[in-house]
Amino acid sequence: MLTIGLTHYLIVSAVLFCAGVFTMATKRNAIGILIGVELVLNSANVNLVAFDRYRAGLMDGQIAALFVIVLAAAEAALAVAICMNFYKNLVTVDVDQGDVLRG
Amino acid sequence: MIAAASDIWAGIDIGGQLRLFSPEIALVATMLAIVTAPMLLGRGARTIGTVATLGVLAALVLVLRNFGVVAPEGQGVLTPEAGSGMLIADHLGTFFKLVLIVFLGGVTALWWMGSASTERDAPEFFILLLGSALGMALMVSTTNLLMMVIAIETASLPSYAIVGFNKRDAKGAEASLKYMVFGAISAATLIYGVSLLYGLTGGSLEIGDVARAWYAETSGANRLALGLGLIGLLVGIGFKISAVPLHFWCPDAFEGAKTEVTTWLSVASKAAGLLLLARVVHGFTVNLPITKADAGFLPYWSSVAPLAWGVGLMSIVTCTWANFAAYRQSNVKRMLAYSSIAHAGYMLMAGAVFLSPSAPDATAGMSALLTYIVIYMFMNLGAFGVVAMVGWRAGSEEMSAFTGLIRRAPLLAVPMIVCLVSLVGLPPFAGFIGKWWVLVALGRQGTLLSWVLITAAALNTLFSLYYYMRVVVQMTLRDDGRPALSIPVGGAALVNFCAVALCVLFVFVDPVKRASERYASGLFEPRPTVRVSTGDADAPALAERAP
Repeated sequence: MLTIGLTHYLIVSAVLFCAGVFTMATKRNAIGILIGVELVLNSANVNLVAFDRYRAGLMDGQIAALFVIVLAAAEAALAVAICMNFYKNLVTVDVDQGDVLRG
Repeated sequence: MIAAASDIWAGIDIGGQLRLFSPEIALVATMLAIVTAPMLLGRGARTIGTVATLGVLAALVLVLRNFGVVAPEGQGVLTPEAGSGMLIADHLGTFFKLVLIVFLGGVTALWWMGSASTERDAPEFFILLLGSALGMALMVSTTNLLMMVIAIETASLPSYAIVGFNKRDAKGAEASLKYMVFGAISAATLIYGVSLLYGLTGGSLEIGDVARAWYAETSGANRLALGLGLIGLLVGIGFKISAVPLHFWCPDAFEGAKTEVTTWLSVASKAAGLLLLARVVHGFTVNLPITKADAGFLPYWSSVAPLAWGVGLMSIVTCTWANFAAYRQSNVKRMLAYSSIAHAGYMLMAGAVFLSPSAPDATAGMSALLTYIVIYMFMNLGAFGVVAMVGWRAGSEEMSAFTGLIRRAPLLAVPMIVCLVSLVGLPPFAGFIGKWWVLVALGRQGTLLSWVLITAAALNTLFSLYYYMRVVVQMTLRDDGRPALSIPVGGAALVNFCAVALCVLFVFVDPVKRASERYASGLFEPRPTVRVSTGDADAPALAERAP
């Protein structure tokens, strides 16, 4: 009988983190990069909640996870607004097309 | 439930604790007033500007009133247990808040000179500006990792939006997209690092507990994971400081933004990041097990040296890289953006000194950093103020727009020369003093790292002479008969005030230096024992250190 322990959660979190970093590194589309950021944030949330449950026992980690969710929502709202503004000016959300400012 | 809640707060002076945060509360109240004002008074730029200016003045009065006051229970406030609060009110925080709010006033003055006549979205502009100021004030008032994350995000999110404030400007849109993408990635790394640190300290978000875990950890794998968590933390803070290699957003965001916004970000965001780093480093310094009797002897090399060398090398790379990149710039605003990265590097050098087992050395580094921030504020407000006015009147911030400025607008050219010479760090201006104290602090520490840093700082000062002087030469020796510039009186007064302040501070730097020493000295006094997490033993000692 397999008992789910801290290690299992940490493995899930590590997989999510790697997927997020890979997405951030390879996508050229601003929305794609933001999806990668969300994956990394959620892997941090899994870490926080799992460490809280198995190591600490106080509520600090779970409350921190709630704060991170709220921050992620605020950041996503602003990020999409900035992407739309960029799209209105340049008719693309490919970050490589933003090359007016360089040097 | 109600009875239990009142028990928790019994004996806590809530009014007294809130008073310590009255400047922040004033900023929030001003933001709310600006939300309401359009309904009652209309959206006129001058009306909203007046409301915002009054709010900034109120915050200034409140922070002056708090000067010299610390939390009655010691370090932590807004919590029943002293020493483990989410927020801290101490001298370092108050000192920074004073500088921040004075600078916010300067940026608001610059806004009145330039954008006030054409601005159509003044309420949004000021809410974003004050929101980022609030986040920066909170960044310096905490040792809790969760609060650090929230404060960094509170400072960053409005900054992304304010950089792309002009919706029809393609440059601004590109700048804010780049800033936001880098910011989101570094924030994600920071939060992941925090989650690792949380687990490896056994469930604590206090930076002091992280430091103790770092010194006590013997297992190699756990130490590696702690190191990764610390790197995540350093990435998040390094992004705010724009330390190389996390600087890519900085020149683009600074060039694409309005010049008031560039001025604001170049000083406030970096100073807040540096002092947040100081908080983290301070947690590591004061928890250093000093003697064998305390907590087992740890050699310098296995405890604090990797961190000091990490910060030190980051500062060398930051200075050198930014100075070389500034060589190639033809846009003065962008050149000053690289110059601000280089200055962040010099200030980071002072950061390497705090990671010293000796309290006097650490105090010297901290006070050098605080003095530098005050002087740097005047240099940048003056230099960017001139760039802003040339940009408004000549329509360009390219090097060519500065040709013959000494004839066309002597009241701009002279303060610009003072600010640029001061930015190089040459006498007889205050920039020299700022750099000098950093080098003295490094020299007093006298380790191998500090001599490496002194050499790097000296060489970098020589390199930087060339690109600053190029602007001076363009303004004085070249002239192609362009028409004279008409400049706003208030704007000329502002930049000339900064130039005069730089001259005066060169001669009379003592009050600033003494204040920064007094405000730094309480932080690094040696502790009799390794601090325990409740912090009760040393909390009263901190309260007595009122200057």
